This record gives sequence, structure tokens and C-alpha cells, in this order.
Amino acid sequence: MKSFDIARRAGRSLKNAKIRTLLTSLAIAVGAFTLTLSLAAGEGARQYADSIIQSNIDPQSVFVVKDGSLVGDGGGAFGGGGGLQEYDAGAASFSGGTFQTLSEKDLNTLNKIDNVEKILPTYLVQAEFIKFAGVDQKYSTDVTVYDESVLAEEAAGKLPPLGEQIETGTVVVPEAFANTLEIKPSELIGKKVTLQLQRQAQVPDESAVQDALLEGGQAAVEKLFAGETRQVDFTVSAVTADSPTSLSASSALFISAVDAKEQSEWQTKDTDNFQRYLSVAVIAKDGVEPVKIKDAIQNQTGLTARTAQDLQGVIFDFVNFIQSIVIGFAIVALIASAFGIINTQYISVLERTREIGLMKALGMRRLHVSLMFLLEAAWIGFLGGVLGALAAWGLGSLLNPWIVDQLNLGDQSLLIFQIVPIALLILGLMLLAMLAGLFPALKAAKLDPIEALRTE
Amino acid sequence: MIQLKNVSKIYGKKDTTFTALDTVNVEIPDGASAAIVGKSGSGKSTMMHVMSGLDRVSSGQVIVDGQNLADLKHKAIDNFRVEKVGFIFQSFFVQANESCFYNVSLPLEIKGLSGAERKKRVTEALETVELGDKISQKAKNLSGGQKQRLAIARAIVNDPRIIFADEPTGNLDTTTGDLIEDLLFKLNKDSGSTLVIVTHDGELADKCDMQIHIKDGKIEKITDKSTSKLQSKKGAAK
Repeated sequence: MKSFDIARRAGRSLKNAKIRTLLTSLAIAVGAFTLTLSLAAGEGARQYADSIIQSNIDPQSVFVVKDGSLVGDGGGAFGGGGGLQEYDAGAASFSGGTFQTLSEKDLNTLNKIDNVEKILPTYLVQAEFIKFAGVDQKYSTDVTVYDESVLAEEAAGKLPPLGEQIETGTVVVPEAFANTLEIKPSELIGKKVTLQLQRQAQVPDESAVQDALLEGGQAAVEKLFAGETRQVDFTVSAVTADSPTSLSASSALFISAVDAKEQSEWQTKDTDNFQRYLSVAVIAKDGVEPVKIKDAIQNQTGLTARTAQDLQGVIFDFVNFIQSIVIGFAIVALIASAFGIINTQYISVLERTREIGLMKALGMRRLHVSLMFLLEAAWIGFLGGVLGALAAWGLGSLLNPWIVDQLNLGDQSLLIFQIVPIALLILGLMLLAMLAGLFPALKAAKLDPIEALRTE
Repeated sequence: MIQLKNVSKIYGKKDTTFTALDTVNVEIPDGASAAIVGKSGSGKSTMMHVMSGLDRVSSGQVIVDGQNLADLKHKAIDNFRVEKVGFIFQSFFVQANESCFYNVSLPLEIKGLSGAERKKRVTEALETVELGDKISQKAKNLSGGQKQRLAIARAIVNDPRIIFADEPTGNLDTTTGDLIEDLLFKLNKDSGSTLVIVTHDGELADKCDMQIHIKDGKIEKITDKSTSKLQSKKGAAK
């Protein structure tokens, strides 16, 4: 007997028991629904993470740090475990944590590595506040070096082409600032913005304190401890548009690398942090695999390096972990539905004893009899899979705009349905259903036709 | 030709054995119509089962067309039934939810024939039993007589050498039963196939060329209605 004919007979016999077939397949559909949604959500999350990384990190860049703990290597200053940390003259304190930092010497070494286009150290500039000309309020904000490797969208003004820094003395601000100030982005262009910077005073020695006390009394001593502030003026040259995926572009004030270096060095002058960098972005030459630069850096300098792909991997690991939990629940649901199929098919075999007997009497082979019941089970799996996937797809398509709106994902959609994984899922469910149908199918194959035909 | 040589069939094991057939010897010539007659439990159904390859003998030989069924493997016996045997049962055993077409095409599907060939043969078989207009009707919508005619169409569709009919009129009223009997004998004559009817209906048995009377698993007597007629028919069939 041809498999095609067997499959058609199996299909017709299911059609004759529509309600039973539907109810059995609904159990599978529940599992398929959950699996389809979790596959779609996982894919959506991965693509979202991907687009975040692409709009924030140059794919050619390699992120280099001295302190592996910054990129999740071993226990660091913030890491668990606590206890005492060994003193290190090269370590510097940032934001309450102590990290090993890169020195100018490290930068020189990095510059000498083959195929390195350029290196961009992170300059930390901490502004006490910023103030726009003509606005009384003072605001606090992060100050970041303009990232020339990623091109943001402009809301007003003009950004330099990809790979070029903004001019010294100018800044780029996000559209959000204009919203806060309640003015149009275009009105910010050419506006003067003042940054107040502070640097910590050196702890004065005893004689300096005495001298100050003698010369200016108590006020002079306080001044000695108070540190120093200065104000620097910049002009706004461009406003970046809001982007749901670009993180820094929506929150920080960008200054040029030259300005950042100058201000950062003024702020850290005479401290341990002077010309020390938490991290450096090393840009690989076009056409050079960043991973090669990464390996060269790690082998030649002992510094810790991460490519954009590595960072992506960290996010993906997290997404995969969450996804596997959901998939686990779906699999439990599917195991339950497998018992439903065993039960249904077993009863079906008992009900159709005479039919099976007739087929065997007419010379149908055992293999074909069992195949017929296996294919019935496969049909149930197929139906359940298609129903579940369709329901998930329909519901997902309906809810997607709402979810995107709630999570503020912009153009991204959280649920991304792909045809190939769904097709594989349905195929897998058919196999699962066949596995569940194996026991009833063998029972059918073993029926003695004489006994079966005697059943009245 | 169907030959049973010293055939015994014993059910059960050791203490609880039951001898359904006890050293039976029978010969049914090609193209003949034979009735196996006996009371309920006499072993007539078992005789049909061993002749048709549904059941295996405990000892002895079942030779059909020169081949001993006892020597055949499972798969070969299945093949034997596909190729050479048609069955008609007392309770019809049609598939109620399938259309007449698919009921009749089942043996051809099992044989593995192509769709076009199946369609041709099924249509022919249904027309032979005068159910040509019911081809796409579901079997459950047919009357008892129509169901048995459908079963006959299914039995003849593969052009078998032997048709086994187990109480073919047992579930039908006299008028309908007579029509079915006439149809069976007509097919027997027209196609030259052998017809073996299991029955306890003496009238039906009398219409057959030979009667094999069986009692308690033993042959009581074999009556041959007309040897000369049988031989002339054999000549015509060749």
C-alpha cells in the first residue's frame, strides 16, 4: 500500500471524528501557541538587541579595558565576594569603585598593533551642571565624547559625516533637551551652553594649611580644601533626533574628543586618575576582522578586549536564558498533550477493531496498519501545531503595536514570526504526536483479524 | 484448486485444547461453487479461515493453486489474500463513514495500484453490482442489501481466483437474500472464479455445485451435485 493512500485514509478517518480530533489537537495547540510566541519574542529581543548595538557601537570597534571585571571577567571592585582587594598603584577610583586603568603607555602599545585604524580613549568629564544662555535653570547631565563611528539622525543642525569628529568648541545635544526647555530643536542651534566643571583639591600638607591660615584666616583654609571650579562655554551645533535604540544619543551632551581630553585632564590634574582611562575603543581598519585585533590585543598586551559581537553575545545569552524557561513550560504542556493523543488513539483503535480486522483480512500489512494510525496521530500534531501557531501569530500581530508602544521600541517589533522555525516546530509536533501514537498503532498492528471480525 | 490434506486445527494449549478441525481432506475444483454446511461451532468457519489464509493449520497441508499455505511466511500470506482472495461477511463489514468508492478501492490501494487504474476498476465493480449511481455516497446511507452488494463489489474488484462468503445472506430478508445469492452465482459463472460459501442455510447450499457437510470438526459427507456439469464448466472457463 502506498504511503500517500495510507495518509489519505488516515486523514478521512480523522475528518469523520471532527470533534474528537479537534479537542485532541487543541492540547497540542496550547503548547504550540506558547512555543511560537516564545520563539517570536526571542527573535524580537535578539533583533532589538542587535539594533541597539548597531546604533551604539561601531562593528569595527574593539572595547579594551585593563580591568576584566568591567566586562564580566572574574570578581572586580563591584563583584561579589567582597573581602580585601590588593593595593595596586595603577588602579584608580571611579564612581566609588576601584578599577585598574589604562595608562598612556598602554595607549601607545595599542596604537602600534597592526591594522588598528585609531584608538579612542574614554575621557570622563563630569559637569556639575550645564546652563543654556537665556535660561535661568541649571541642569545636570552626562557629558560624553561624540561617537564618530555611529551616525545619529539629526533633528536640527548638521552632524559631521561618519568617522569625523564635531568641531572643537561645539556640542551636540539630544532632542530631549529641547523638550525639557520647551523650545524647538532648531532654536537650540547656535545657542551658547556653559558647563561648570569642578576639580578636587589636593589634600594640602600641614605647612600649606598653616601658611593659608596666617595669610587669609579660616576662609583661606576652607578655600584650600574646597577645590576649584571653572566654566567653559560651548556652542550647540546639532540636535540629535530621539531614537528608541540609540541609548547615549537620547540622554547625554556630546562634546568633541579634543575638548573632552582637555577638560578631563584639567579635572584630574595632579590626581591618580590623570591620563588614566577606564576603557579604550580600538577601531580596526576597514576589511579587518575586529576579532583579529581583539586576539592581537589580548596576546600582545594582556589587556582585556571585547568585540561588538562579544557584547551582543552577552545580551543574547540573557535572552536565550529567559526564552528557555518559557520553552520549558511549553514542553511540559506538550508532554501532557502527548498523553491525550495516546488516550484518543487507543480508544480509536478499540472502536475500529472491525475495520482494522477487515483491512488485515484483505491483506494489509502490519506495517501499513500501524503506519495508518501513526499518520493519524501526525495529522493531529499537524493540526494542533498549525492552530497554535496561527493563534499565536494572529494574537501577536494584534498585540504587537500595543507592546511596541508600551515598551517604546520605536520601529522594532517585539514579536517577530519567522516561517522556518514555525515550520520546524510543526514538524517537531508531528513527530511528537507520532511518538505518542506509537503504542496504539502497535496495538492495532497486532490485532488478530479473525478475532477482530468476530466482534459484533 | 483448493486442497485440504489431513488438516487439523487445534486451539488452546495442553489441558484446554479444542479441536476445531480434525484430519480433514477436501478438494474444491477451480470455478466450482462449494458450500460448507454445518451447525454453529461445527468448524465450518475455521475451515474457511484456513482455506483463505486467515488462520494457520496445526497440521496438514492447505494447497491452493499448487502452493502450500502452511509453508508461506506472514507477508507472503498477506500477499496471497491481496492477489487471489475476496471476502464477503455476514455483517457486511463495510466502512460506514467511507464513500462507496473508497470502500471498494481499499483492496486495490492495499495492492498498490495507481489512481487511474483504481478508478476504472472500482467503477466497473460498482456497476456490476448495480451501485454505479452510489459511487460517492457514504456506505452508512445504504440499505442492508445495498451494503452486501457493496461488499461483493469490494470482493470482486481485484478479480480474485476465490471468493469466500461467510453467511452472505444471514443478515438479509428472503427477497434481498435471493437477489444477493443470484448475484454471487452469476459472478461465479461469468468470471470462472471459485466460490466458497459458509452457511447453515440448506436451500442456499443446495444451489452450490458441491456441499461439504461438517460436524464436530470432521467431514460428515461431501455431495457433488453434478460432476459432469462441473467438468463442462471447467472446460468452458479455460
